[in-house]
Amino acid sequence: MTDPSLSGILGLMQLTDSALPTGAFSHSMGFETYMAAEQLEDEASFAAWLEMFVDQQLTYTDTLAIRLVYAATDFERIEDLDELVTAQALPRQIRESGMTMGRRLLSIGARSYPGEWVRRYQQGVAEERMHGHQATVWGVLARGLDVPEDTAVASHVYATVISLTQNAVRGIPLGQNTGQAVIREAQDWVDRAVVTSRELVAQGIAEEVLGAVAPGLEIAQMNHERQRARLFMS
Amino acid sequence: MPETPATAGTTTPPAGTAASSSSPSWAGQLRLTVAERTGRSYAARQYHEGALRVLRPHYLDRSGQVTYTVINPGGAYFGADAYLLDVAVDRDASLALTTQSATKVYRTPQGPASQEMTVRLGPGSVLEYVPDQLIVYRGGSYIQRTRVDMDPTASLVLAEIVTPGWSPSGESFAYDELRMRTEVRVTPPRPEPPEAEASAGAAEPTDGPREGDTPTSSDHDPAARPRRLVVDQLRIRPGAHGDMTGVGFMEGFSHTGQLVIADARLTDEVYEGLTELVDTSTTHSGITRAGVGEPYGVRCVCVRSLAHSTEDIAALHRAVVNLLRQRWRAQPPLRLRKY
Repeated sequence: MTDPSLSGILGLMQLTDSALPTGAFSHSMGFETYMAAEQLEDEASFAAWLEMFVDQQLTYTDTLAIRLVYAATDFERIEDLDELVTAQALPRQIRESGMTMGRRLLSIGARSYPGEWVRRYQQGVAEERMHGHQATVWGVLARGLDVPEDTAVASHVYATVISLTQNAVRGIPLGQNTGQAVIREAQDWVDRAVVTSRELVAQGIAEEVLGAVAPGLEIAQMNHERQRARLFMS
Repeated sequence: MPETPATAGTTTPPAGTAASSSSPSWAGQLRLTVAERTGRSYAARQYHEGALRVLRPHYLDRSGQVTYTVINPGGAYFGADAYLLDVAVDRDASLALTTQSATKVYRTPQGPASQEMTVRLGPGSVLEYVPDQLIVYRGGSYIQRTRVDMDPTASLVLAEIVTPGWSPSGESFAYDELRMRTEVRVTPPRPEPPEAEASAGAAEPTDGPREGDTPTSSDHDPAARPRRLVVDQLRIRPGAHGDMTGVGFMEGFSHTGQLVIADARLTDEVYEGLTELVDTSTTHSGITRAGVGEPYGVRCVCVRSLAHSTEDIAALHRAVVNLLRQRWRAQPPLRLRKY
């Protein structure tokens, strides 16, 4: 390519595209529990839920995991982070969704952008030593593509926001234009996730607070397992 | 150093004091090693210093389980103070650990008060940790870190309750920050000791809290490393959440509870029983199979609760503890007598 940085951008666009077949379309990450309780019925209530989800869950789990992957100096550290980010996901469906989507991302990424760590990650998952959490997989792939750290964090949070909003458009349902309005609004929350996670790293507590998810959200995600009628797997 | 069973109240320096002398200065520390002999658990080693100690042990039923009650003679945790609880439960021993009253954290302008708890559970051992609720007062910050290393045949229950704190004006959530992190790891299976006497202490790495302590058996097999089972986190910063009583956070409730169970015998049948308790409780709770895989066969269940009172959550926690005691050990319900 004439512009070397373009290859990283195109790779990032491919792997964070909502059409990437990771199965993101089948996960609500807990909002379906609130839907069933008739707490999410319009743009305002869904936007408030999504903002809470970005602030309370993504900021304290995935963004920190991605940043810690960027700081890693050897692959043993990646193995440790993959285990940590999986172990902190208490609700079974959240843990399994992270692994299901992460493994698909890993297999697509390994075919398109092979590298030493990507190969070792695949081997670790194949040998069942590693779990393949989506955040650590994305961190490894983004590093390999020379995506700047903040961009890697922002694009992952934004991709999650877009999939969840598309799922809400189908599930709640919301209008397509309403969904786009929420996505635009969410750009500020994505920025906040980037800033907050950067501060937590600077304070030296990123690893210690990784997994500090709000209790109400965790309970909703746990209770989704036993909800009777479900459109989503989480 | 020879192992001498300590009696309650005596202050015996821990074996291998090198570990403790190099540690930060603790405002209070309590080190307790419980071992088992002819079916009865007892404190094989006990050491306390500063603002933490234990009451005389109790035997609440005929199971041989020993119950220790932690007391804080200072009445509360203060700013920048660090407290250490180091607990080892050796092979086949059983310990119920509780507190005499609520853990209180007052204003901490000097920096957060903190509690470090390190736990090592030997083969066939049992730990039930059921402290009273935590109360953080206005202007207080508290950090709690708990690290458990358990044998695959050990049994662990940790049950904690957090109140909305207290302020003179009656306002809830007036504290600055609360952080509680619990990490449970499973150590590789250990062979039976060659002789019964060997289990009294020599086989247990019981001296001091050392991060990354690994049994020597893993030196030979790189695959046999301690494996993380679960990390349970709670972080509440009332000033930073906007309306923290709202959706996703406290959902309109005031109290929160967390229960971590780790045991190889958490079968579907046991899980169903626990689920029924959660469903019939007066709390707003979730239950799930937590944990990464089943390291060395150990399974994990977590319960997270929200409620309007300490007692609502405590009642659920008691019901869970009692179901497991009945199911796994035919042990009568835990009846903690508070003095």
